[in-house]
Amino acid sequence: MENKWIQYLLLMLVIAFLGAFLLAPIFTVVGVGLNWHLLAEVFSNFIYREGLLNSFAIAAVTTILVFLIAFPLALLYNRYDFPGKNWSHLLVMIPMILPPFVGALGFQQILGHYGVVNTLLSYCGIPRVDFLGGQGRFWSVCLIEALHLYPILYLNLVTALGNLDPALDEAARNLGAKKWRRFRKITFPLLKPGIFAGGSIVLVWSFTELGTPLMFGYNRVTAVQIFNGIMELESNPVPYALIVVMLFFAATMYLSGKFALGKTALNATVKGSAGSSAVRPAGWRRWLPTTVFAMVTFLAGLPHIALILTAFSLRWYETILPRDFTLLNFENALSHQIVLPSIVNSLNYSLFAMAIAVTVGVLISLAAVRWKLRGGMLADLLAMLPLAVPGIVIAFGYLGMSVKFNFASEYFNPVENPFLLLGIAYAVRRLPYVVRSVSAGLEQTPEELENAARNFGASAFVTLKKITLPLVFANLIVGALFAFSFSMLEVSDSLILAQKAEFYPITRAIYELSQILGSGPFIACAFGVWAMLFLAAALAAAGALLGDKIGSIFKL
Amino acid sequence: MTRVEISGITKSYQPGVPVLKPLNLSVKPGELFFLLGPSGCGKSTLLRILAGLVEPDSGSIRFNDVEITKLPPEKRRAAMVFQNYALWPHLSVYENVAFGLRVSGEKKSEIDREVKAALELVHMSEYASRRIPSLSGGQQQRVALARALAVKPALLLLDEPLSNLDARLRDTMRREIRRICVERKLTAIYVTHDRQEALSMADRLAVMDQGVICQIDTPEKAYNAPTDKFVASFLGDANFIEGELKPDGVWQTALGNLSCDGMTGKLAGKLVAMIRPERIRIGVESKMNAVNAVLTNRSFTGESCEWEFEASGRKLVVVESAPPERKIGETYLLYLPPEALIVLQ
Repeated sequence: MENKWIQYLLLMLVIAFLGAFLLAPIFTVVGVGLNWHLLAEVFSNFIYREGLLNSFAIAAVTTILVFLIAFPLALLYNRYDFPGKNWSHLLVMIPMILPPFVGALGFQQILGHYGVVNTLLSYCGIPRVDFLGGQGRFWSVCLIEALHLYPILYLNLVTALGNLDPALDEAARNLGAKKWRRFRKITFPLLKPGIFAGGSIVLVWSFTELGTPLMFGYNRVTAVQIFNGIMELESNPVPYALIVVMLFFAATMYLSGKFALGKTALNATVKGSAGSSAVRPAGWRRWLPTTVFAMVTFLAGLPHIALILTAFSLRWYETILPRDFTLLNFENALSHQIVLPSIVNSLNYSLFAMAIAVTVGVLISLAAVRWKLRGGMLADLLAMLPLAVPGIVIAFGYLGMSVKFNFASEYFNPVENPFLLLGIAYAVRRLPYVVRSVSAGLEQTPEELENAARNFGASAFVTLKKITLPLVFANLIVGALFAFSFSMLEVSDSLILAQKAEFYPITRAIYELSQILGSGPFIACAFGVWAMLFLAAALAAAGALLGDKIGSIFKL
Repeated sequence: MTRVEISGITKSYQPGVPVLKPLNLSVKPGELFFLLGPSGCGKSTLLRILAGLVEPDSGSIRFNDVEITKLPPEKRRAAMVFQNYALWPHLSVYENVAFGLRVSGEKKSEIDREVKAALELVHMSEYASRRIPSLSGGQQQRVALARALAVKPALLLLDEPLSNLDARLRDTMRREIRRICVERKLTAIYVTHDRQEALSMADRLAVMDQGVICQIDTPEKAYNAPTDKFVASFLGDANFIEGELKPDGVWQTALGNLSCDGMTGKLAGKLVAMIRPERIRIGVESKMNAVNAVLTNRSFTGESCEWEFEASGRKLVVVESAPPERKIGETYLLYLPPEALIVLQ
């Protein structure tokens, strides 16, 4: 067609963008870090070895915990009708309205030496337990990460279960297979792609998570070691090698998952509408699933509750609830010199990131799904890469590029002004959500509707404007909302790339506030509450727009 | 009214697997022309090439002597009724029908007049404000037709538009579409695999198989005098009789020596002829073309009865309307009129 060359030109621009801001930083880091002396230093140094082992352990334990929480919940949701089922999707997303490292602030009030749990224990005459010291820190990091990440696996599983044709299970039942056997032989194998999609994100995410261990002071973790090494990068380039090692293991985890679970389950999905196979338990039993959902939601909401209580408290020490309530922390949060600028900064970075992510994401989806260009699938694959490549790697790569290339240091200098760097970093990290959301919309919209518009005289551009984009509008909005709201609360890029107080985004400001002795953590909590409310509104809007389909955007 | 000339059109989606082999076709102005063939024969591809939605590998298309092969779809004025209607679910019935007129920059009052007229024509005026998902299949089909008619197309393309409707509605819609095309003097090309649809509606039809046109004719001629075995069997049930035409003019077949009108002037050699089941007569005595056959099966379809006979190891199917009682296993005399035996290529 006559527009093909324009489509190819746009695709080339998108691939060039991904090459410059996704592949180049990875190559920059690998270029420096792939040095045998540095790698030998990583594996011979006890501290780095321990950091790696701890990161592995956190990833493994967190992922297991996530499975233990998400799997039963997803099965309950799929198999039963219960009171409050319509609300359960929204409730499950509660953990996502708070970055885990902010949740850690609240958690310290619960598990601290003079926190809620220890106060309860001492009331019962049991000696206090040091939850946040020694091995306690490890378990706290795992628990808070699991409580934050389980919705990703849950949403994937619910979507995968919803797509399974109930007739497949009925056929097995018809042939005499019992419940457990049907689950083992039919349901579970067909769920593998969904398990992989959610599980691999959780595994890679928890392996590379920076904010939570940093907040708990759990420093013997690779991500924190890399972060702490930034300051002395000139004299000690080992963090580059650490990044290479982290990238290698993250990619290995992702590929092993893909190999073991990622094969597409052919012909297992329902085309068109399938009747729900959910049953309604009789009598009091119908409240059982509701109770399980409520308990998990309460547990997952504990850091939020603690954060809110801390934000409102003047003093919370050796009591179950805060002793004095106040609005002072909110006032202090808003009047602190780094707070208001950080909100403005975050808004600027995130709006810029959203604009880039939506533009690039829509073009990639169109190229791969609609225009079916050669190279479209490559762009789609590249756009998914940030899910397997830790954010810390990309951020570190930008840092390396700004040092390495003169032209880059002029426009992309984190010390001078990280606006472009942070905006693009956020956009690249959130690109997978936009691409998956828009691609899902395009795949569900028959191409014939666009052909019809062309047939009735609309040009390619008018067709895009009047037919294609309005038809995938909900998906587009959801992708944009995710790009925007997750950018507002992004952690690793923000901690690494925002180096001057005047350029701090919200998350970096919360981190800095939490480090101030005395009232610092209280003010940080108050600021965290503002952030939480903001993200909650964004996710509720996304949930309202997409309903059950929201899980489809957390897929690889 | 538009005359359509298609010459040398070819198309392959995979190298070495042609969907359309060099294909020539001429559609007269104001004609309701049918492309008829089994699934995968290339008829829909040809229609999409005419609409500009698929690019041909070679060949040319002319509308009234104007070359349009390279013209983008939006500039061809070849409005299409899609198989699944392709109605935009985010727009109302009125907006769907008005879309083409809006895009072409018509005045608001003109758009309103045309949309109302088009909806009136398909008896959908009262549904103008309705959303597409709230309509039944038949109503959606009418809106799709109204949308195509509203833009006053140079050429109307219909891609199996009735395939999703039930049998009764299909009958009604056949008559409606034909009425509208005749009333508006539209040149229309209609793709279908339903022979009843093609035979009952077409001015002329082209039977396609494996990317080539086997025969172009009026429905009557194509049915009564098919040129080859494929067309004969695709347009209706047929009995095929093979034999050897001797130099002395005798046609030796497994059923005995037969005679048919079309064999006059043919060279000696193998000769295949076909006869429609309704043309064979049972129990009619004749000195020639009479065959003794045993009745092996019957199937009653309501308006007629289909008898299966066996003669010299060959099966012959005969259709009779209002037949008398006959017994399975008995032998009957079948008469094959020479003028009803059509020699095939």
